Amino acid sequence: MILVNKNTKVLVQGATGKMGASHTKRMVAYGTQIVAGVTPARGGSKVPGTEIPVYDTVKEAMDATGATASVIFVPPYLVLDAASEAVDAGISLLVVITEGIPPQDTAKLVAHARAKGVKMIGPNCPGIITPTEALLGILPGSIFKKGPVGMVSKSGTLTYEIALSLSDANLGQSTCVGVGGDPVKGMEYPEVLTMFENDPETEVIVLIGEIGGSAEEEAADFIKANIKKPVVAYIAGQTAPPGKRMGHAGAIISGGKGTAESKMKAMKAANIEVALTPREVAEKVAKLIKQPVTK
Amino acid sequence: MDLYEYEAKRIFAEFGIKVPPSARITKPDGLRTVHLGYPLTLKCQVLSGGRGKAGGIQFAKDLKEGEAIAEKLLAMTIKDSKTESVLCEPKVSIAKEMYLAVTLDRSRGCPVFIAAADGGIEIESNDKIVTMPITFPYSSFQGRKIAKAMGLSGALHSKVADIANKLYRLYEELDLDLAEINPLVVTAGEDVLALDGKITVNDDALGRQERFNGWADKHMADLPERERRSKKAGLNLVELDGNIGIMCNGAGLTMATMDMVKNFGGNPGNFLDAGGGSDSEKTLQGLEIINDNPEVKVILLNILGGITACDEVATALVEFMKRHPERKMIVRLRGNNQDVAEKMLAASGTKLYPDLEDAVKAAVAASK
Repeated sequence: MILVNKNTKVLVQGATGKMGASHTKRMVAYGTQIVAGVTPARGGSKVPGTEIPVYDTVKEAMDATGATASVIFVPPYLVLDAASEAVDAGISLLVVITEGIPPQDTAKLVAHARAKGVKMIGPNCPGIITPTEALLGILPGSIFKKGPVGMVSKSGTLTYEIALSLSDANLGQSTCVGVGGDPVKGMEYPEVLTMFENDPETEVIVLIGEIGGSAEEEAADFIKANIKKPVVAYIAGQTAPPGKRMGHAGAIISGGKGTAESKMKAMKAANIEVALTPREVAEKVAKLIKQPVTK
Repeated sequence: MDLYEYEAKRIFAEFGIKVPPSARITKPDGLRTVHLGYPLTLKCQVLSGGRGKAGGIQFAKDLKEGEAIAEKLLAMTIKDSKTESVLCEPKVSIAKEMYLAVTLDRSRGCPVFIAAADGGIEIESNDKIVTMPITFPYSSFQGRKIAKAMGLSGALHSKVADIANKLYRLYEELDLDLAEINPLVVTAGEDVLALDGKITVNDDALGRQERFNGWADKHMADLPERERRSKKAGLNLVELDGNIGIMCNGAGLTMATMDMVKNFGGNPGNFLDAGGGSDSEKTLQGLEIINDNPEVKVILLNILGGITACDEVATALVEFMKRHPERKMIVRLRGNNQDVAEKMLAASGTKLYPDLEDAVKAAVAASK
């Protein structure tokens, strides 16, 4: 497993909002150690429907609870401020779920997080799950199983679809990381791939990409040079027309660049198995697993 | 949101970047009150590129010729973009054409200056382009740095550095995706002017940029009707030329579903991402929009409920099928509250496919 486990102490920024509160309860129900909520001017109260204490500032919450990770649910225009507060307070891991953050805000936040050595996931991402240990974000915990497959993805529901195919085939996951679908983001594929490479529990890596930008091509080069574990890739958007934004802010083919074809070609050139359907991902992974998985 | 040239130039002027004097007309006889002298440049105000090549920029030697040209330009449509108005400017004598832009570089994860000291317009095929990452916090030395990287010196270096700094400031202050001056010209009188410009405002930032309140409607005028309706409803629609209507929750899953349709021998008619956590009303709106596409023979609804509750989708589906009982539907639902949804839909006789591949194959078969 990577990034999070059952001992990770987590605080939630925006835990008192509607979405934050409901997902906080879901994360707790999964077994995640949610130790604090942070909402300015709500210090001293509890996260609605729980006994989790709320603090005014991230610093107070970290000092009182020992939290090292923060999950951010605050509205888009407040994310830069809230996340910068967490970076400044010395958080180690930042998971930004919020969608619709103006990209210039994200660029400033990413620069700040990198300068302070903070690991940042997102924005516009489903979060991270280490099955049976911890869930930071909005992934539906019930479809994930513990096992040897490391997953890294730009997408939310497509990740669930592929996780479902894997779990149905009894191929569990070590950790699943949703890096998000925005053009500018915290962690990119190479950082997550390196963690899976160094993780003894991960045997096979699944990379889920989509049209737009060149992150998949860069990941293919990176894998060829640095990753020894087998990788299965899936790229969404083979039928996407050029010049149209396909839902995610980053999913656009512009000036003939960022096509699924180019990404799949780069993957194949790096000896990476490319699957054409979610079920095929599971079939290819099954062939690459060294030891049979016990139920 | 893309702005028209005249809107971009007003913003440039407001931030202290020199632009030529101009007047905007919406009728040919509007030219009679324009006193900028002749020869006069007349330019179609459209949101598409390639305007010059399409004949959207012309020169008039006098009022009579100007009115005839204006009439022609005002009736023009360039690459699906209708002429909104005509911008008139005195013809400028150009000593040098340059290119200068600020945009976000997604692989570097930061804004960049893109510039060229020789030639504008065909910037994509220019091999003298320089790109410079912009660092935070911004400081004026970065304007001097890009002007130097362009190979400029002396008075021109100072003028371009100053313009670069102003361009970055407006890019940041107005939450732009792109602030581009093309061409940035040196006139025979050694003035440096933004002769043409393009501004794209980031759509996600529109909610905090008060000056653009109410602009979205006008700037969506070139969008096809159903795409405009979707945008207003907060849905993301891209139409294609096939006959299988597709609606899913989540962009990646929607693209993957389209791809599977194609791989199994069908033709996707659209991409429609209902987004995460959509309620029954939004789902219903999405179904109605797909239903209105005359090319669509069958609708494939693929919902994997994470944040989206299956019963909300089922509520919309029951209502939709009451309205359009003749419509062929293939429904795949799995996830949160799936059991509740199954009961609701069983009553209406809808078959549910728990497996995505089975659903896609059924939709392809129904489309033939």
